[in-house]
Amino acid sequence: MPDETRGPLTETVFYVLLALHTPLHGYGVMKYVNEISDGRINLGPGTLYGALTTLTEKGWIAPVPGSADDRKKNYVVTDDGRSIVVEELKRLDELLRNGRRVVGEESR
Amino acid sequence: MKTKTVHKLYWDFEKEERWLNEMSAKGLNLVRYRWGTYTFETGAPGEWIYRLELLPTDVRKPDGRQYLEFMSEAGVQTVATYMRWVYFRKPAADGPFEVFSDLDSRIAHYQRILTMFASVTAALLPITVVNIINTTRNGSSLAFVLPFFAIYLALIATLATQTIRLSRRVRELREQKRVYE
Repeated sequence: MPDETRGPLTETVFYVLLALHTPLHGYGVMKYVNEISDGRINLGPGTLYGALTTLTEKGWIAPVPGSADDRKKNYVVTDDGRSIVVEELKRLDELLRNGRRVVGEESR
Repeated sequence: MKTKTVHKLYWDFEKEERWLNEMSAKGLNLVRYRWGTYTFETGAPGEWIYRLELLPTDVRKPDGRQYLEFMSEAGVQTVATYMRWVYFRKPAADGPFEVFSDLDSRIAHYQRILTMFASVTAALLPITVVNIINTTRNGSSLAFVLPFFAIYLALIATLATQTIRLSRRVRELREQKRVYE
């Protein structure tokens, strides 16, 4: 399926892409996502492994070169990955704007 | 360190997982599994959280090894492997531990187990039928073959029950997925 027809990103994908704006290894991503979500999200290592594999195949993230002999493989977001996040932010903005307009500011 | 051995057979990995965590709560930590034999070491109660996973590939293949390495980097120990099954544990002090944290990956895992049960059932069914036909033709005494049939049928019934249980679980989660992630 071409990426033009893509829908919303999953929470896992969104947060993994955010986390990898700084090069990190798997455990680093788990810690980072847990921290910025105030402990709400505990990424399962199995789920994260699957996401890292899929995102690498899509070219949205890439292993950091030179980290190959290092046992802990670091990943970083690619330009494609960055623009995916920017697009998603526009969509999320729209959701928030409309939600607040209808439900009101008490939802803040 | 004191060890304790238990012989047990589980068909339902979630029941097995629950039992292992109950043992761990009592300070009995699984350290080995082989052919229905669980070996526990005594330790502090509630020190570890245990989780089971059926991998898509063999543990000894590069993909499987790479995955276990990734798990170990994430602070997850591989206690035992049994065919494609892996017994993981993580210190409870690290916080909650689940291998999968979203519906997609949980569905995929159940689906994997379901496929395994379904294919074993499907493979066993014709073997059973052929065996029954053959022994009937040979005119073996019924008293002799009956126990074998009983075992076959019990096995198929168990496998089928698991297959049905898992497909229900997958359907429930897919239903949830229509609204939630």
